[in-house]
Amino acid sequence: MKIVIAGGFGVGKTTAVAAISEIPVLTTEAAMTEVAAEIDRTGHTPAKTVTTVALDFGRITIDSEIKLYLFGTPGQDRFGFMWRDLTEGALGALVIVDTRRLGDCYPAVDYFEKVGLPLVVAINLFDGKLDHDLADVRWALAIGGATPVVTFDARARHSVRDALVAVLRRALIETTPGSAHSGR
Amino acid sequence: MTSEEANGPGGAGRSWLPDPARLPPYLLTGGRARPIDDNLEIEAQVMTTVAGRGELPRLQFETRDIVALCAEPHAVAEVAVRLGMHLGVARVLVGDLVATGHLTVRRPELDPTMRAQIIERVIRGLDNLA
Repeated sequence: MKIVIAGGFGVGKTTAVAAISEIPVLTTEAAMTEVAAEIDRTGHTPAKTVTTVALDFGRITIDSEIKLYLFGTPGQDRFGFMWRDLTEGALGALVIVDTRRLGDCYPAVDYFEKVGLPLVVAINLFDGKLDHDLADVRWALAIGGATPVVTFDARARHSVRDALVAVLRRALIETTPGSAHSGR
Repeated sequence: MTSEEANGPGGAGRSWLPDPARLPPYLLTGGRARPIDDNLEIEAQVMTTVAGRGELPRLQFETRDIVALCAEPHAVAEVAVRLGMHLGVARVLVGDLVATGHLTVRRPELDPTMRAQIIERVIRGLDNLA
């Protein structure tokens, strides 16, 4: 099983994975296919380019049968077809934000809401202080009222654990058969 | 150079071709970009079967490395990292080995009831984290 760790560049994704992973953070290289936005004047099919991206990930052994992997989204904020492979089948996503650069997380939040992946927004407190009201952050992100917004410290193992549990509790609500959210 | 070496993945005569790790990914997979099992998740757990272990002496190159590595369960992404392959290449090769019975795979659970049970187990496991 896996949880996706998303967020803008430098927001603390790898730090968070490293804080809780039972193994040193591993990096795998993947090809990300992108379709060029421009179409040339002759009307030919837009060119595809293939970029190699690095995916950081870690692992937590839950029990004899279940291992939980944490996959960080790539540093590029452009979305390619690899994002589907990265997120397909995930239990949920933790979207880490820096209140100084909230906009960096918009693409990730939009994508996860579109594909129906349960998500929690987590404000990484670098110095323990929250400069903004949580309600202000929620408003600025324009996320639905049901999406939890939490604070955490990406460097602290138990803090990262609590944020992941928040994602899983959100996933439980949205997965439970018969609930209003199931089958999104 | 035997015909086996000529036809094995990575092309002929390993000793006079560049390091496989530097070959274009499509050469390693014989030109295919999509695995037989197109849905193999990067976190899917794979492990060598008894039959696969028996085949080990007859395998070569990347397939041998994968079957040897997966004597212990590994995620597809872990196979890629441990063997120095691109993730896409690992997915294709692992998918092939699952299809041929060398490896067995445990996929993420999708049934909602089973999934809810798994989520609860994961929550309990995390709550108990030291």
